[in-house]
Amino acid sequence: MRSRPWAGLALAAPALALVAIFFVGPLMMSAVLAFRGKDGGFTTEHFAKAFELYSTDLLFSAVIVVVSTAAIGAVAIAIAGYLTLGEHPRTQAILRWLYRWPLFIPFIVTAQVMRTFLAKNGMLNHVLIGGGLIDPLQAQSLLDWRGIVIAFVWKQAPFVTLLLAGAMAAIDRQHIEAARNLGAGRLRVLFGIVLPQSRRTLLVGLVLSFVTMLSVLSVPMMINPNSPTMLTVDIAYRINSHGDYAVANALCLMSLVLASFGAWFYLREAARKVERT
Amino acid sequence: MRNARITLCAALVAVGGALGFAGPAAAQTTINVVTAGDQNMVDYVNNFLGPRFEKQNPGVKVRAVGTGPGDAGSQKIYEKLSAQQKAGIASWDTDVAVVHQRGAATMVKENLLAPYRNDVAAGRLVTRDTARNALGQNVDGYVIPMFHSQIAFAYNPAVVRQPPRSYSELAEWVKKNPKQFGYNGVKGGMSGVGFVMGWVSANSGMADQLEKGPYDPAKKAVIDRSLASLKEFNQYVVMTPGNAGTLDMLNRGEIAMGPVWVDMFYTWVADGKMPPNIKLELPRPGLPGQPMYYVVPAKAANAQLARRFVDFAASPEIQAEGIVKQFNWYPGIDAQHVRSKMDEKSWNKLFTDISPEALASYGRPFPLSEYFTDILEGYERVVLK
Amino acid sequence: MTGSLAGVRWGDTLARVVVILLLAFAIFGPLANLVLWAFAERWYFPHKLPQEFGLTFWARVFAPRGSALASLWTSVGIACLTVLSTLAVAVPAGYALARLRLPARTLILLVFLLPQAVPNLPVYVNIARVFYEIRLNGTITGVVLVHAAHGLVLAVWIASAAFASVDASLEEAARNMGASAWRCWTTVTLPLALPGLIASAIFVFLESLDEFTGTYFVGVPDVTTLPLLMFNASMGGNYQIASITAILLLLPSIAFMLAVERFLKADVLAMIGR
Repeated sequence: MRSRPWAGLALAAPALALVAIFFVGPLMMSAVLAFRGKDGGFTTEHFAKAFELYSTDLLFSAVIVVVSTAAIGAVAIAIAGYLTLGEHPRTQAILRWLYRWPLFIPFIVTAQVMRTFLAKNGMLNHVLIGGGLIDPLQAQSLLDWRGIVIAFVWKQAPFVTLLLAGAMAAIDRQHIEAARNLGAGRLRVLFGIVLPQSRRTLLVGLVLSFVTMLSVLSVPMMINPNSPTMLTVDIAYRINSHGDYAVANALCLMSLVLASFGAWFYLREAARKVERT
Repeated sequence: MRNARITLCAALVAVGGALGFAGPAAAQTTINVVTAGDQNMVDYVNNFLGPRFEKQNPGVKVRAVGTGPGDAGSQKIYEKLSAQQKAGIASWDTDVAVVHQRGAATMVKENLLAPYRNDVAAGRLVTRDTARNALGQNVDGYVIPMFHSQIAFAYNPAVVRQPPRSYSELAEWVKKNPKQFGYNGVKGGMSGVGFVMGWVSANSGMADQLEKGPYDPAKKAVIDRSLASLKEFNQYVVMTPGNAGTLDMLNRGEIAMGPVWVDMFYTWVADGKMPPNIKLELPRPGLPGQPMYYVVPAKAANAQLARRFVDFAASPEIQAEGIVKQFNWYPGIDAQHVRSKMDEKSWNKLFTDISPEALASYGRPFPLSEYFTDILEGYERVVLK
Repeated sequence: MTGSLAGVRWGDTLARVVVILLLAFAIFGPLANLVLWAFAERWYFPHKLPQEFGLTFWARVFAPRGSALASLWTSVGIACLTVLSTLAVAVPAGYALARLRLPARTLILLVFLLPQAVPNLPVYVNIARVFYEIRLNGTITGVVLVHAAHGLVLAVWIASAAFASVDASLEEAARNMGASAWRCWTTVTLPLALPGLIASAIFVFLESLDEFTGTYFVGVPDVTTLPLLMFNASMGGNYQIASITAILLLLPSIAFMLAVERFLKADVLAMIGR
């Protein structure tokens, strides 16, 4: 496709301006604080302190979001795949109605319900014990890293599924029928035909989830704010208990670096796609 | 179908327009009361103080907004005031704020508040130390306490027959009853922070110096030593998710004892979320407490009305009827003024579990802010590593 | 032979039912907690279910001075305006990112991601200061702008993916048949990308409807929304009030999604038929 660069820029300009003025600018005002010492000069001491106190939490955050993203991807592929390739319309209809509910529950409420659902004497264990599946003595609290992952997957998997199911529905049915007629199994069709064609949408959903989870405070705050915990809790703690914006902003920038790793996957894919067109 | 879409768009625009133009129509003065703390404090201003104050002051409307529990709530108020100061705004959008000690100290230090206590009659009814000093910062004249809150151990007598009376007894007790005591560390709110402060006061031998000064940075080593024993203690306890998390685990019977804010505890009781047998206890040498303060921002748009509002809210009748009777909270102004305004029975309800004497001896102030920081950072270095 | 086939089918059905039931439990289990707390008057150990149900807390939320309904409408209005303003700038931007030559394309994509990727609190403090300076604080416009900046990445990225997935040969065919660029865009490109755009509208709506940090710093005390109440209640462990507000917020979310999906199906089918 031929076009002059200014045409594209002009179309993107209003959106860019919106983000630049109402987010990037104020973000820069924060970012400089992370490098400013008491005397006003340049310093890296805030980063040194952030690393000294919170390097474990940095790692913990990374592991949590990577594990959650992987699980979200698996759930989304399974549900969207069945919605596209399943051969039982009623089950598909039920599934389509069922999976979306968590979309409408804000993160903070997700955290609250998970706290009372996953606790040692919470509803999950009551049901498991009542159903004779576990012994009362085996009941344990899931309110640690597992609780955070469960809350994230519960909340974000429908988001990615909705996107992915939409992309899969848009695929030309003829490709799928042709493969089926040649005797390909449904799994084979899913991974060989459907998924590659909706790969980009899947990546968009996963990357958006990845970065969102990195910036959510309420879930780790209400499920497991104790050590090790996620960086967002530490940021809130530096601000609320110490009034320490310098270290808080250093932590924000560290979190941003983590997010960029996630974004990089998508951007690489997006760049490749454009070269092809 | 396309028509329908246009209709939808038109409807959305109409909604937007309505919102844009539906500004304050009545010729009323609105006084904005912004409060940190739990939702019931917003409800208190909205449903109890508001109607009564409006009746006395025709043409005035009280609007209450909450900013969330804990120091985070106070910090948000500070941030908004500070933003208005830095932006050079002449009249600020907050008339009265309710904040914690740490917030008040920062706001006074940065000239965000008006000295108003001597302008109002109720100001003469507060003489306790916390009305002049917040974590070592002189706030004399800038604050009037709304109520006083205290951290105490809540415990289930069915499990804890004889509650530990001191920190050393507690350390013994948790070894015999592992995972029955829970607290929320230092990142999940002040009841956990207060417990850590109490622990250091008890085990460092410098309780008085922590509260009254002078500040000595060399004492960090002493503090760190007392925290080392807390690391061992932590192996036998449950870490809870936040102030509300401790109450939450008591609610489900997952822990038998933990430090809680007394005011939050009574709210949970009133909301049907606390088993009725749970009791409170103050260990020796004590746990910290702090007041919530009424403050008036330096450039409050309705500065005079704000003073009148606080004067009303801190008056003995209101303190008796609202703070003590309705919430079972310790009054903000001196006790004798409030006690004389109410029946003995309601007054004594305040001291069901913790006697006035215990409260006077073991209800401590928080350490000076420098020590406060040293202890928190010491906890992160020594206990969490 | 037929017997074993029937057996296989039975096994198949059973497996399907079990999986659906498990999924239903995973989704509705936590939601059941929400509903129970919304009506629980008394609930504590060792009771596995509330001992007493009632509407006391609903009365508290709907207390005449609590203004929950007013803030619900404000929230919905802000969310609608946010969707409109976001889509207005995101559709052209998404198209440009997907189809046109753009310098520093990767960088632009990344910039949109920033508001979603950075923990917001420290940034909103600065936004508050800027908005006070330009007198945007305490206005609906200010809140909408902040929500739009935050939700923009959803709209731009998803729109760009949607446009990218439109088969370019269809557009070329339309152009070859003499359609103008604008006509080609409105009759071919836009309808094909519409499902993606609709999805992004839903997400932007939900994002705005649930937002509270930005609303606090930019709107309060003149603009208050329902999520602010939900946030206070939830953080303070006031499960009843938090659950009730969450249920109230569910209504507009679901209504919006149903409305939008109705348009989606009918519209897209109509376009394809033409």
